[in-house]
Amino acid sequence: MNSDTLNTLNSYSINKYKYGFVTEIDDEKPKKGLNEDTIKFISLKKNEPEWMLDWRLKAYSKWKKMKEPKWANLSFPEIDYQDIYYYSAPKGFEKKPKDLSEVDPKLIETYNKLGIPLEEQKVLAGVAVDVVFDSVSVATTYKGELEKLGIIFCSIGEAIQKHPDLIKKYLGSVIPPGDHSFSALNSAVFTDGSFVYIPEGVKCPMELSTYFRINAENTGQFERTLIIADKGSYVSYLEGCTAPKRDDNQLHAANVELIALEGAEIKYSTVQNWYPGDEDGRGGIYNFVTKRGLCAGKNSKISWTQVETGSAITWKYPSCILKGDNSIGEFYSVAITNNFQQADTGTKMTHIGKNTKSKIISKGISLGKSQNTYRGEVSFLRKADKARNYTQCDSLLVGNQCGAHTVPYIDSKNNTAVIEHEASTSKINEDQLYYCRQRGLSHEEAVSLIVNGFCKQVLQELPMEFAVEAQKLVSISLEGSVG
Amino acid sequence: MFLEIKDLSVKIENKNILKSLNLNINKGEVHAIMGPNGSGKSTLANVLAGKEDYEILNGSINFKDNDLFDLNIEERAQEGMFLAFQYPVEIPGVNITPFLHSAINSKRKRMNEEEIDNLSFAKLLKSKASDLGINIDMLKRSVNTGFSGGEKKRYEILQMSILNPDLAILDETDSGLDIDALKIVTDGVNKLKTKDNSFLIITHYQKLLDYIKPDYVHVMVNGSIVKSGGSEIAAEIEKDGFQKFQ
Amino acid sequence: MNIQDNYQKNKKNIFFSENKDIQTYREKLINIFENDRFDKKNNESLKNINLKNFFDFKYKYLISEETSVINNNQENSYSIVSVNGQCLSYKDDKIEITKILDEDYIDFSKNDIIENNDHFVNLNSLFLNSGFKILIKKNNNIKIKISNIITDDDLTIFQKNNYICEEGSSLNLIEEYENKNNSTSNILNVIKLEKNSQLNHFLIQDNSSNHNLIITTHSSVKKDSTYTQKVYNFSEGYVRNFHYSELKEANSEADLQGIFFLKDNNTSNNKTYVKHLAEDCKSNQVYKGILNDRSKATYFSNTHVDQVAQKTEGYQLSKGILLSDNASYFSKPELKIYADDVKCSHGSTIGPIDENAIFYLRSRGMSKIAATKILISSFINEELSSIDNEQMSEIIQKKLVRYLSKVK
Ligand SMILES: Nc1ncnc2c1ncn2[C@@H]1O[C@H](COP(=O)(O)OP(=O)(O)OP(=O)(O)O)[C@@H](O)[C@H]1O
Ligand SMILES: [Mg+2]
Repeated sequence: MNSDTLNTLNSYSINKYKYGFVTEIDDEKPKKGLNEDTIKFISLKKNEPEWMLDWRLKAYSKWKKMKEPKWANLSFPEIDYQDIYYYSAPKGFEKKPKDLSEVDPKLIETYNKLGIPLEEQKVLAGVAVDVVFDSVSVATTYKGELEKLGIIFCSIGEAIQKHPDLIKKYLGSVIPPGDHSFSALNSAVFTDGSFVYIPEGVKCPMELSTYFRINAENTGQFERTLIIADKGSYVSYLEGCTAPKRDDNQLHAANVELIALEGAEIKYSTVQNWYPGDEDGRGGIYNFVTKRGLCAGKNSKISWTQVETGSAITWKYPSCILKGDNSIGEFYSVAITNNFQQADTGTKMTHIGKNTKSKIISKGISLGKSQNTYRGEVSFLRKADKARNYTQCDSLLVGNQCGAHTVPYIDSKNNTAVIEHEASTSKINEDQLYYCRQRGLSHEEAVSLIVNGFCKQVLQELPMEFAVEAQKLVSISLEGSVG
Repeated sequence: MFLEIKDLSVKIENKNILKSLNLNINKGEVHAIMGPNGSGKSTLANVLAGKEDYEILNGSINFKDNDLFDLNIEERAQEGMFLAFQYPVEIPGVNITPFLHSAINSKRKRMNEEEIDNLSFAKLLKSKASDLGINIDMLKRSVNTGFSGGEKKRYEILQMSILNPDLAILDETDSGLDIDALKIVTDGVNKLKTKDNSFLIITHYQKLLDYIKPDYVHVMVNGSIVKSGGSEIAAEIEKDGFQKFQ
Repeated sequence: MNIQDNYQKNKKNIFFSENKDIQTYREKLINIFENDRFDKKNNESLKNINLKNFFDFKYKYLISEETSVINNNQENSYSIVSVNGQCLSYKDDKIEITKILDEDYIDFSKNDIIENNDHFVNLNSLFLNSGFKILIKKNNNIKIKISNIITDDDLTIFQKNNYICEEGSSLNLIEEYENKNNSTSNILNVIKLEKNSQLNHFLIQDNSSNHNLIITTHSSVKKDSTYTQKVYNFSEGYVRNFHYSELKEANSEADLQGIFFLKDNNTSNNKTYVKHLAEDCKSNQVYKGILNDRSKATYFSNTHVDQVAQKTEGYQLSKGILLSDNASYFSKPELKIYADDVKCSHGSTIGPIDENAIFYLRSRGMSKIAATKILISSFINEELSSIDNEQMSEIIQKKLVRYLSKVK
């Protein structure tokens, strides 16, 4: 590699995190540590019915017997579950505020800084947002419009109160609490998150979005999202996240369950930009997320798109269970790691029904001293006649101190199913850089352009409102200079 | 002097490619270089553009009163040097339009000119493209990706006409073009030609020089220019090959 | 019987059981067996394996050294019949054949590429009862053909062979495994290529259904050397081909290829693992399998590129054709890359025979079954046509025809 490239790279690996500020606000927390009392405290704070508390306690007793899954290519110190706060709420949030006049102006200011205006006159056009600050949902925009269509979009806490039948039927139906230790943990202590129900035949006219922000120190965030798309319906859902800069590591263990009934389609997009830690690997979010979608009905479709640029550790495999005949699962992913970040991310496509199709496009970019792993499993079960999968995963290495790894598991038990898998790993192409610079682009611009080009197949899957943001984020993750 | 190459010797991977090469180009002149395969023509073009793999053993290059070796690749481009590549590289996922838009604006920035906005740029691009017989649909594609050999060459000339360089180096832009395309491309070049800019045209065929009239023709063999003269040299080469120059 | 008791009881038959260092090492291995939870999901050496068959075995061994044969029939060309894993000693100015020595054993036990949890390698090290060492001397160009014979039913052969190619030498090695008795061979080949040497290693496997064959190869390749392995597996019994290769010095190369033809209830497990430890090395890992009836196969491939191994080129390809709806194929093509100036890629496809191609051939008047057979042959055509040894090519063609005759 020539010296210019190295210089540019060095300037890139000094990453500056734009969302690292802390909001000074009084908060309310239980004692640190995980035990039945903590869970009862959370349940009480949320004013939950008895059955919900039981559900949580059952999950907790499972968790106690479990060990963290160890197969990922990650190394981090043992997590001390007794040294974490499991609930944190800005003071005065016993009840969700009815309107913004009840919300602390500091909070509104926080979200303005993050580019998520909450005031009525400024809300993002075409996007309904549910905003989660530490453990509680603080505001949901466009609620009324959605209600007219019968769409339910609220915090999961509210759904437990108002729609217990749906919750009882679907919560934990895709990710059983006993699946692995992080799902058990989340089931025991989840605090807030979003709930979406799209009624039969309704095409949700706007993007639904949740914005997660971890503010409080030493606080774990355990949100739970449940999206149900009834027959023939459609919804596109976006998730964004940030956290302040802190020297300690913070734990985030979310669970997201999607259910698509016959003919329904769910598109779930994430732009994950949690605090990644500093140049020396201090601090940053530990992101252990379980996301799973069930294509329960015929002709249903679930599509995951993720742009992962943040977190010290990312452990995340948005998956699809393709149960309904002709159902479709998709996974589009860009994962960028820099400095000491570690990412082990990918997907799992389980083909159960006939004629099911899945597509995986994964782009990994490693810089600095980071480790970036794609891990994916595609399996065709006996009955998955004529199922098809296409997988493409490409990795780009920038600098010679990082690692890029590809670990696909491919399992076919059906002789009419076809699986195609391609992967490649290479460094950034010097000829392309030369070409761009010959046309007058600076070295930095050239790298950013080429990397964005490399990610294009994924970025173009994002809804318009997010695509431009994501492109910028990709460039920022590379250069660290804030525009 | 506009471009002055003095006593240039260049090496790559322990192989001497250019050997004491001299070449002067004045404003408004068209020069052609002909030479057998492997004689070092593309190497010269790349050294001018600033490609970094080469080791400069000796000599100097002066371009518009700059020591060229003080400028990096993009600075040379911004100063008005343009290289139409012999083998343009594919850059998947990078869309042509924004790519060229940033290119032209980086040049304007350096020249302290106002940046050109989206809309006027789109207009400019469209009109230049249609001049060169390039389909508008092609402008939605990624840089060179999946282009045919001839399309790549045409697209190089499109970029040239947008960036409007002071010195354009065309490295075998004629090869791979069908006869109609050759006509369109050379028309494009001739339109661009003024008394203030210069061309360095690398080619194997006299044909191209029928369309673009060079002021000088140089014969390059084994890393040096062995003969210079007018277009009559091209005719000589066409007839007898390079044998007698070696 | 558990491993510990089995080992204690049969010590007298096991090689090097008096050597103190080796004893200690074996104690360690026994410990590994006793503490392992045999987690099939995360241990590649256990997938598709019936543990009971392999770890709860009856240990029986017969020495019949006297019947092994070495023939120097043509200049630079040798043929060897190895009986129950043994071979006579032999020496001339080009090659040298001896028994396996305890120092070779200790040397191998220090390698760190084979994971501690490859239980078949550990079993081999524990119960070692046969094996030989072949040395090709400097600058010689040698051909060797080895037929591996097992004389009796119920034998369990734990064999370790060392092949060493000295500087500038080249070896063309053809090994045949065609055993018909009810027995198990667990063979570990340890291969060392010194500078500027070459080994072309062919393994033709065609055992009957009651013979289990486990072959593990460890190759270490030095500067400007190339190791090529081609496996042709037509066995009706269980076969495991695992290969661990280390490219230790610049400009070395490993080319690991295999094709397997499975039917009935048969299982085949395959693995190739190449560790790039120096600059400018190349590796190629290509396995293709055809699976009929209720057969099962796994293929794990892995390209590991160390931080210093710049300018690496690594390629992997895994392809499977499932002919029956009860067959299954698992593949895991892995890349682990710590250097940036690399070109590494892998491809993997699993599926039925291309229906469009079948349709095309049928529209030219061919029966469906004939079309299927032609397409199977074309699937592995590249591998078959690249065999430059006519005799071997003929043998393999015959076996292919036999396999195809069972395809319905
Ligand atoms: N990166 C490189 N490494 C080694 N040799 C090189 C490299 N680039 C060019 N060369 C060698 O330098 C010599 C000159 O190459 P160059 O491309 O300049 O020739 P050319 O005159 O443009 O030929 P053509 O007419 O075929 O385009 C050739 O022998 C070529 O092989
Ligand atoms: Mg050339």
